[in-house]
Amino acid sequence: MEKISVKIDGRTFEAAKDQCILEVAHENGIYIPSLCYNSEVASSGGSCRVCLVEAHQGGRMRLVTSCNYPVRKGLEVKTDTPLVHRIRRGVLELLMARVPDSEAIREMAAAEGPTDVRFRLDEGEYDRYKCIACALCTNVCADVVGVFAIGMVNRGADKKPDTPYGKPSDVCIGCGACAYACPTGAITMKEKDGVRRIWGRDFDMVTCSVCGTPYIPQAQVDWIVRTTGKDRSFFDKCPDHR
Amino acid sequence: MTDVTQFDSIIDRYERSEESLLAILQDFQREFHYVPEEGIRRLSEVMEVPESKIYAMGTFYKALSLTPRGRHTIKVCTGTACHLKGAPQILETLERELEVKRNGTTTDGEFTLECVNCVGACAMAPLTVIDEEYHGQTRSSKIMDIVKKRAES
Ligand code: SF4
Ligand code: FES
Ligand code: FES
Repeated sequence: MEKISVKIDGRTFEAAKDQCILEVAHENGIYIPSLCYNSEVASSGGSCRVCLVEAHQGGRMRLVTSCNYPVRKGLEVKTDTPLVHRIRRGVLELLMARVPDSEAIREMAAAEGPTDVRFRLDEGEYDRYKCIACALCTNVCADVVGVFAIGMVNRGADKKPDTPYGKPSDVCIGCGACAYACPTGAITMKEKDGVRRIWGRDFDMVTCSVCGTPYIPQAQVDWIVRTTGKDRSFFDKCPDHR
Repeated sequence: MTDVTQFDSIIDRYERSEESLLAILQDFQREFHYVPEEGIRRLSEVMEVPESKIYAMGTFYKALSLTPRGRHTIKVCTGTACHLKGAPQILETLERELEVKRNGTTTDGEFTLECVNCVGACAMAPLTVIDEEYHGQTRSSKIMDIVKKRAES
């Protein structure tokens, strides 16, 4: 793999060509906040904009989203300038206004300064719980899990992840990867008496034959068996007792 | 609507490729005055494209509607120029006379009433578009006449 060197906050690092700034920074212990990016999900990033940094190249400076901006020869990145912090505060403030209930965003914002917002949603105008419409969940469902149970529906202010027609999806396998990936905890997944509920559908859980813990939806086992040919008996026991 | 042949006859006109999806949805819209759920499901089956993807397209484009629309569409421009020139009155008259709210469809399935924000013909304000036909500088009474004629056509 081609290696290049890139400067971040005055220090020089080795990086793979085309790696995104955010990853190079994180690998080297430099903090840049991020919400919608997950390194495991190729199509993620570029939506929440909390990861903006200064990218200097060829005598020009641009603010770029570090999660999807590839490092290049001669690139110099600044993550800790007054401009970056000012923009970041603004972004966080807007996100906080949009999803006032999200602890994750409140915490991230508090670290940057703002604890309250100057903008208010009109009372009763939106019912958007904690979702910032970043599409990480739908990308995970499509690109990592591969079942395409949910998609981003509507557009503009009404954009949100959902199953077709908001009905329980018959292709969903109840794996919960979307809920796990969501940066704001906006997707509810509940489990009770061996039944998991997510996206309005109930999934029977398979119980570990050793410890008796319900640990994986039957539908997910079926899916794995069908797509990978793995032996069904493999799922008799949970990962801890295999 | 469970007869899939009516969808297939449209789908068959196109290549089996994701690029055809939007054109097919537009044809559904023209044919049925909306994109029926069964149509999306059938399209997903035939094209082997996830239903969630096609449904997302259906919710994204304004030209597509997932609920039945009327045989005729009335769009009242409520852009700035038209607003000042009396669009609100036209809208109110239409709502009252057709007994329908904006963005709604009359119970007999004849008319869908919509608001649009400036169609770029401000010189003709106030503007009402009925089935792609532009009617400019009109009063509500004139619009009602045109609408009544449409209903009979
Ligand atoms: S539910 Fe979570 S992951 Fe999905 S779009 Fe909303 S914020 Fe992003
Ligand atoms: S983490 Fe980069 S835009 Fe969201
Ligand atoms: S405001 Fe109606 S056409 Fe411009």
